[in-house]
Amino acid sequence: MNNGKAVVLIVEDNTLIRMGAVDLVLSVGYEALEAKHADEAISILEQRDDIDLVFTDVQMPGTMDGIKLSHYIRDRWPPVKLMVASGAAILMENMLPTGTTFFPKPYDDLTITLEMARLLAGDGPLILSA
Amino acid sequence: MPSSPTVHIEAASTLAVIVSSNEPLLFLSSDLKVIAASATFCRVFEIDPVSIPGRSLSDLGDGEWAMPKLQSLLRATASGSANIQAYEIDLKRADRPTRHLIVHAQTLDDGDTHHIRLLMAVNDVTEARAEARLKDDLIRDKAILLQEVQHRVANSLQIIASVLMQSARRVQSDEARGHLQNAHHRVMSIAALQRQLSTSLGGQVELRAYFKQLCQSLGASMIADPDRLSIQVTADDSAVEADVSVSLGLIVTELVINALKHAFPDERNGVIFIDYQSSGKDWTLSVTDNGVGMPAGSDAPKAGLGTGIVTALVANLKGEITSVDASPGTAVTIRHVDNTTVAVRPSKAV
Repeated sequence: MNNGKAVVLIVEDNTLIRMGAVDLVLSVGYEALEAKHADEAISILEQRDDIDLVFTDVQMPGTMDGIKLSHYIRDRWPPVKLMVASGAAILMENMLPTGTTFFPKPYDDLTITLEMARLLAGDGPLILSA
Repeated sequence: MPSSPTVHIEAASTLAVIVSSNEPLLFLSSDLKVIAASATFCRVFEIDPVSIPGRSLSDLGDGEWAMPKLQSLLRATASGSANIQAYEIDLKRADRPTRHLIVHAQTLDDGDTHHIRLLMAVNDVTEARAEARLKDDLIRDKAILLQEVQHRVANSLQIIASVLMQSARRVQSDEARGHLQNAHHRVMSIAALQRQLSTSLGGQVELRAYFKQLCQSLGASMIADPDRLSIQVTADDSAVEADVSVSLGLIVTELVINALKHAFPDERNGVIFIDYQSSGKDWTLSVTDNGVGMPAGSDAPKAGLGTGIVTALVANLKGEITSVDASPGTAVTIRHVDNTTVAVRPSKAV
């Protein structure tokens, strides 16, 4: 939290998708931070201790993809909430740390902001029925 | 007392059959001496036919056939305690690549039990195996490529969806925002199909699963209170070609957007029902709501892009659209009757 506002870090290598996600996060009143890849995300997480939620893509350049990044964050900063989105058709949710929600791309804005609100309110993950 | 060996003479016809066989064949005595070899065997394994008769199998060529395992299997076959069926071995020769062989061997059953002889067929499957491996590799490559393409399509659709929604959040006019949001719904409708196709086989789309996913996506973006409004899908087990499903999905998208926008004003509760049934080539798609019904006369909204899209797609599917007051609500039905069947029937009756 920063001045009572939830802080969301967006990790996405595609500029336009990242812009859209930042815009979405701002539109519901959170503070938005952005990173182009996992390494940048980790260095931001090291510099700030007020990040509440990380919303990350899966396929990204650099040393880690979004799946490795989410495990890394869960280990090092356990309270940070995690949301993962990917265009990969097959992505097992069990590859992600427990409590992480997965969204296939293209995701719907309302679905994303509702889940962010729920995670930030401290609820458990949303169980999505098929 | 050593008796002189009984010389057994093979029938000339037997030898002729062996030599002229198209199969790489060896005709062996029970002590694994070569009685005859087919010309094909000599050609395939580069052995001089003249050098063959009377030689031990292990002395053929440069001794490459002296494989202990093969020898023991052949001896066991000669003694009747084994039978070699599709035994796989590698033939290793100096200065030549290893060949992968499949060996069949059996005793010759010609009624002469005193002279056991073996018939050994040797097939070189090196090329066939390499081809099969190549085919496996190609299939795997194709699957990876397909996944990559689907991934890219999903990402591209995400870019379009993100840009549309950013514009929608920025514009001042409600009307413009509505148009941009509709464009976003149409993109999401195609995305739902893409997702459905990525899990389907042979380009056929199962309509029930597709419509459910589509309506879940539409509901997620358009219904703020799921206790107030819901969308229900019933459909038979129909699966259709991808391009037909795009049209059906876009029709459902437009009609659902329309119902959500106009049928339930003033926080009214309601349900939208989607149904698809087919019989042979005939099918019926209906979108029904239990809302306020369509305004008539001067209150009727003027036809927008959505109407244009539905009309064009219905025409393209050779369907007919009817819209009736379902009191309460509105029922829109699109029916396709296959004309080829109708045209055939009268001629049969004649």
